[in-house]
Amino acid sequence: MAKYPFTNEAAEYVRNLDLKIEDMSNPILTRAEQRIEEALLYAHVNTGSRNNEIEIPSFPVAVMMVASTADTLMKRRYALAEAKRVYNLLNEEEKDMILKIASAFNWRIRLTNNIPPYEFALSFTDYLKNTTRFQAKQWKLVNRIVVDGEVYLTQDHTARLLEEEVRAHIEKKLDTKGKFALPQNVADRLEQLKKTFIKQKGKIQFEEFPKEVNITAFPPCIKNMYDNINSGHHLSHIGRFALTSFLINIGMTPENVINLYRSLSDFNERLTRYQVEHIAGGRGSRTKYIPPRCNTLRTHGVCTSTDQICKGTRHPLAYYRRKLRTIKTKTPTEQTQK
Amino acid sequence: MTETKTFVRNKFSEYYQKHSPSIKPPTQIEKREFGFLALKERFMIRHKGFKNVNDLTKFLKTLVPSDVYYSSAYYEKPEEKMEEKSWLGADLIFDIDADHIPTPCAKTHDKWTCNNCGTAGKGVLPEKCPACGEQKFDEKTWPCEVCLESAKVETTKLIDMLTRDFGFHSKEISVSFSGHRGYHLHVETKEVQALDSMARKEIVDYILGIGLETSFHGLGEERGEMKSSVLVGPSLDDSGWRGRIARGTYEFLLTTTPEELENTGLKKKIIDTLTQHKETILESWKEKGPWGVIKGVGVEKWRKIAQRGADIQSAKIDTVVTTDVHRLIRLTNTLHGKTGLKKIEVPIPDIERFDPLKSAIAFKEGTVTILVSDAPEFRLGDQTYGPYKNRQIELPTAAALLLLCKGMAEVKEEK
Repeated sequence: MAKYPFTNEAAEYVRNLDLKIEDMSNPILTRAEQRIEEALLYAHVNTGSRNNEIEIPSFPVAVMMVASTADTLMKRRYALAEAKRVYNLLNEEEKDMILKIASAFNWRIRLTNNIPPYEFALSFTDYLKNTTRFQAKQWKLVNRIVVDGEVYLTQDHTARLLEEEVRAHIEKKLDTKGKFALPQNVADRLEQLKKTFIKQKGKIQFEEFPKEVNITAFPPCIKNMYDNINSGHHLSHIGRFALTSFLINIGMTPENVINLYRSLSDFNERLTRYQVEHIAGGRGSRTKYIPPRCNTLRTHGVCTSTDQICKGTRHPLAYYRRKLRTIKTKTPTEQTQK
Repeated sequence: MTETKTFVRNKFSEYYQKHSPSIKPPTQIEKREFGFLALKERFMIRHKGFKNVNDLTKFLKTLVPSDVYYSSAYYEKPEEKMEEKSWLGADLIFDIDADHIPTPCAKTHDKWTCNNCGTAGKGVLPEKCPACGEQKFDEKTWPCEVCLESAKVETTKLIDMLTRDFGFHSKEISVSFSGHRGYHLHVETKEVQALDSMARKEIVDYILGIGLETSFHGLGEERGEMKSSVLVGPSLDDSGWRGRIARGTYEFLLTTTPEELENTGLKKKIIDTLTQHKETILESWKEKGPWGVIKGVGVEKWRKIAQRGADIQSAKIDTVVTTDVHRLIRLTNTLHGKTGLKKIEVPIPDIERFDPLKSAIAFKEGTVTILVSDAPEFRLGDQTYGPYKNRQIELPTAAALLLLCKGMAEVKEEK
């Protein structure tokens, strides 16, 4: 229970303790704080105290504290660190324990020795639910053994997928709204942690795109579509969506994007304006769309040629960001050469 | 409305008056969005909802649409705007259309006209107009037998993957002929309904073999005895994609030609070696397969060959239909506006024998006299018709309606 404090069993245990945060003993708070601190600074949580009475309640307390910060990045980082801890533990566990944790998340999983070296068979829907964020080719369903609705996995694979499930589970917990009235001393300590984190965060956060659109930094797929549109050529629906959302995201104004489509024989100003503004987040659901990932563009045949930078990127916007950087570092040397 | 349009509308109306009891509503009809293409004005009516099948058939009888669609998705409020419908889940659907398959008939029956300069041609749509370079065309496609047979072959491959790999019972899969050029497959089991678009994309990639790497399916070098490396690969009876790669490779090597091997990216020397050892390769499948059997053909060459094998085994589904969790799809036992045929369910055990050009006929009585401008030879039921060029002819209703819906004929005015 102390190892896996996110299970219902552990939650039940804590509930029965009937703890109140105001009169919670210091060691629990200290351990909760330690969990958060390690997560924020090292993206890792140690297994910690052997005393169950401290270890188990320290988890929900830590969750409550992080939840009250309302800081998305901090929440994500904490959930990831706790999940990594679980992965490391599960990799060493008995298989029965893996089955037990998996069943806590309603996975349909069983032990198997049909196809060595695989030891687990997991229903493909549970598999997909936990792998769509993964980028490595080995996780693509098409590269796995899938038989009779089940995906064959090693213990390491299974532990990795459970890590993902735990991460999502904790993130969800952290997003539950509701104000906790934290005692002053706890609130103060949290404030301290937050400050340390903000310093750290400065290093992690992405730079913004420059205001000027730089065509030479477009990935090949976007460049190709951009050229096609400019010469009045037709584009598929998904192509139009990818191009439009890409241009909007790198800072082109909706007006300029609309003008781009003007050269098409079937141009319809009202419709185009509606669609472009929708993608830019100005209409309907008010969400600003981002272009599909490389993977998706490949599925729909938008990705036709790749270059060296493509190999290391998974998203057209990431390509753009990276290429801009190489252009920036090159320019001064070019200038000095002149 | 022109004479022809009126005639088509009357026929469609007659169908919905008579046959509406045969219309099987989708499961949980009250949670589905419906869409209709209006026959008169050719525009789409969307965001309709129905409490029960009676309300739906009543609507069909009044509107007389050319095409009827419903959402693969379930919504709390199907009649609201998209962002307010509140998505509850969606069936897993697949579309196999002759348009996406390279067929042996080379689509010589299809015609295209450039929207810009009017240049016209036959066969597969060119990427650009050969005359002006434009990319927008007016297409006239035809549901030819060869195309339909190819679509059926792909459908059979898909059913095999869905049952053997994905573990669906054949009773959980419903297969239908679309009424035009292809087949639709629906899986409605609870477990698939929650899958998001990303998960469905992974299923699409699996079925099309996109991103497949043979190294993950046992094709590679293994350290053998005496430290030398041995080439190993999948066997014919392996599970999942492994077996498929092996079976596809077998088929490819059995039927391939030197030209095709060249298209695979192999050099002359390798092609010669493979051709010389064809017998040895075929024999090798009885044991561990051809991998490593032929000297001079290394792992990278085998990867190229195995990729061709995988391509043969993949089922050519439409990528957009499956990944779109809000998709509208044609309702079974309703008419297809481009043919006057109906979308009809095919029991899986009967698919081999299924004849779409017979089973999908909606109008079985009467004849009509029409003026055919230009139509290829075609079969409907047990009868073969055409080709016709500028001819007045009396045809059975279904055959006449097909040409009328395709815009290849006009109704002869009755005097």
